[in-house]
Amino acid sequence: MIIGQFDEKSATATMVLKGRFDYSCQQEFREFFARYPKGTDYIIDLSSVSYIDSSALGMLLLLRDHAGGDTSNVVIKGASEFVISALKMAHFERLFVLS
Amino acid sequence: MKEQNLKILVADDNPSDRMLLESMLTQLGHVVETAVDGQDAVEKFDPNSIQLVCLDVKMPRKDGWEAALEILQIAKEKLIPIVFLSGVSDPDILKKCLDVGATDFISKPYNPTLVSAKLNAIARLLVLQNTLSEQRDELSFLNQQMVHDQEVAKMVYERITHSNCLSDPALNTLHQGSHIFNGDVILAAYKPNGGMHILLGDFTGHGLSAAIGALPLADIFFDWTEKGFLMRQILPEINKRLHNILPPNMFCAAAFIDINLHNRTASVWNAGLPDLLYFSAGEPQPRLIASDSLPLGILNEYEFEANIDMLSYEFGDYLIAFTDGVYEARSEDNKIHYNSALNPLYAGEVSGSPFVWLENMLQEEGILENPHDDISVLGIDLTQALNNAPQSKPADVTRGVSEPASFAFCYELNAKSLRNTDPLPYLLQILTTVPELSKRSGEIFMILSEMYSNALEHGILKLDSSLKETAEGFAEYYASRETKLKQLNEGCVSIEVKVSADSHEGCLAIVMSDSGDGFDISHLNFDNLDHEMPFNRGLSLINQLCHKLEITDNGSRISIEYRW
Repeated sequence: MIIGQFDEKSATATMVLKGRFDYSCQQEFREFFARYPKGTDYIIDLSSVSYIDSSALGMLLLLRDHAGGDTSNVVIKGASEFVISALKMAHFERLFVLS
Repeated sequence: MKEQNLKILVADDNPSDRMLLESMLTQLGHVVETAVDGQDAVEKFDPNSIQLVCLDVKMPRKDGWEAALEILQIAKEKLIPIVFLSGVSDPDILKKCLDVGATDFISKPYNPTLVSAKLNAIARLLVLQNTLSEQRDELSFLNQQMVHDQEVAKMVYERITHSNCLSDPALNTLHQGSHIFNGDVILAAYKPNGGMHILLGDFTGHGLSAAIGALPLADIFFDWTEKGFLMRQILPEINKRLHNILPPNMFCAAAFIDINLHNRTASVWNAGLPDLLYFSAGEPQPRLIASDSLPLGILNEYEFEANIDMLSYEFGDYLIAFTDGVYEARSEDNKIHYNSALNPLYAGEVSGSPFVWLENMLQEEGILENPHDDISVLGIDLTQALNNAPQSKPADVTRGVSEPASFAFCYELNAKSLRNTDPLPYLLQILTTVPELSKRSGEIFMILSEMYSNALEHGILKLDSSLKETAEGFAEYYASRETKLKQLNEGCVSIEVKVSADSHEGCLAIVMSDSGDGFDISHLNFDNLDHEMPFNRGLSLINQLCHKLEITDNGSRISIEYRW
């Protein structure tokens, strides 16, 4: 499940994900971030995510592209130890801000 | 809904009731067949023409209930609605009708409006059922076709990704997909100068979409390995190709391992896979080789860099790598977490082969039976790798014409070329146009690469090979090779090649000279090759393979002659 909100002032979209972040979220996740214009800053809140798989990592890459690729500003926050280890294994700290 | 005309079997031992219902149904447009009792109904029932059966409850020879059971048995999986006709309204009797499988009742005396309404309802049910079974047949046909297509594609896929040396005794592999197609891939190929390249990869997702990326990966891996390219050249090429062809959300977490037999080293690169475990005979705990790069296919060719770990291995060492399907486990509440059953492996508490232990663990935990992800394990027994003599596969012998060849050329590389290119694959390609040299491509490649690394590492970069005596120094040696090569501004290596051959014999002469200051050659002794020393082996090897070896100009000029 994804809950989102958009802060006009800072032009930042916050997306809160719940449960498993895997292939089954593909459609919803893509539709969700595509609502916001290209180049938007994103905060992805994973504090309620229990599991993340490689297709979720792929979705994050898609979002990063949408957010401007190398000039994007995507913060991933609240990730559990397990989720952090999955992100770090793929060295995603080079592409995203993990906080 | 359009009115449906049904073929109906009516069984009633009372002739007037039977005729009454028959005429009512006929008026509604249905075709009616009649039976005088239960037995007669069973005999007249043809599941291919009758679509609805109406049975009186009480009949001689066979009552409605028995007849209903037999009719349902004949009908098998075909849905034939059965409607009971009864003058009683005893709930127990009506319940028994439903229990034997009836769809509905029509009570006597017949009310034409009710009969018509009930039949319309049943007709709708039949239309629905027909649509459903047509769709089911269509789906199962499509599914069969898809499975068939996938099986064919899988065969092609496996031939491409398995045409390799996975059966080498040094390798143990476990490869289990959660779908027909496996998004994990294990590739292994012998290098032309002996030794092996091995790649374990895990593509995003599962099934066909994950497997498709393995085709270009395998293509580059096998082709470039055979041509003599090195790991640090192959990896950027694979990354570039995957980056260009895969959609942005697909990538490949991978480990690449390059085993060099003659100097007993393994170069290891881990990008996105769980830690590789390196079990060294003398160490209680395995050394972990953590992921050090982004997976393949994410960065563009300018951002990509391969940070490679160098290991010097000994007899009894073992290296194991696996994909995250092994690393993760599903608990009873369906959550996925780190598989704590792996703890003994990390703690070094496993005796015997780590691969066998891991395979048993996966079996016992039931992970192999019900994988939630593709599972692959790669074990490399470096003891076996030590025992294996360099195997050079005779390269494609048919490609050259078997004419004797005589030619000569000189190849000079300045600092910029030394930084950016590896001349060996190109040299090898030219030399293997000579059929006799093509058959010996393993030896030729080894001679070339030893001469070239001698000229580059000692002549130009002035690296001290005694560094390689210790494990730390070993890594340092290769790290400083990288740095110094990147900063190289001057220097030159010249390679003169001369081939002369007639139909019986031939000679390959190579002179490699570099612009460096040379080194102290007085202590060199090629005849006493010390296999325990991880360094200074290059020249000894060349000496063994060639018929003549001359070192002049303080070691900055080496000439060899190789005869056949």
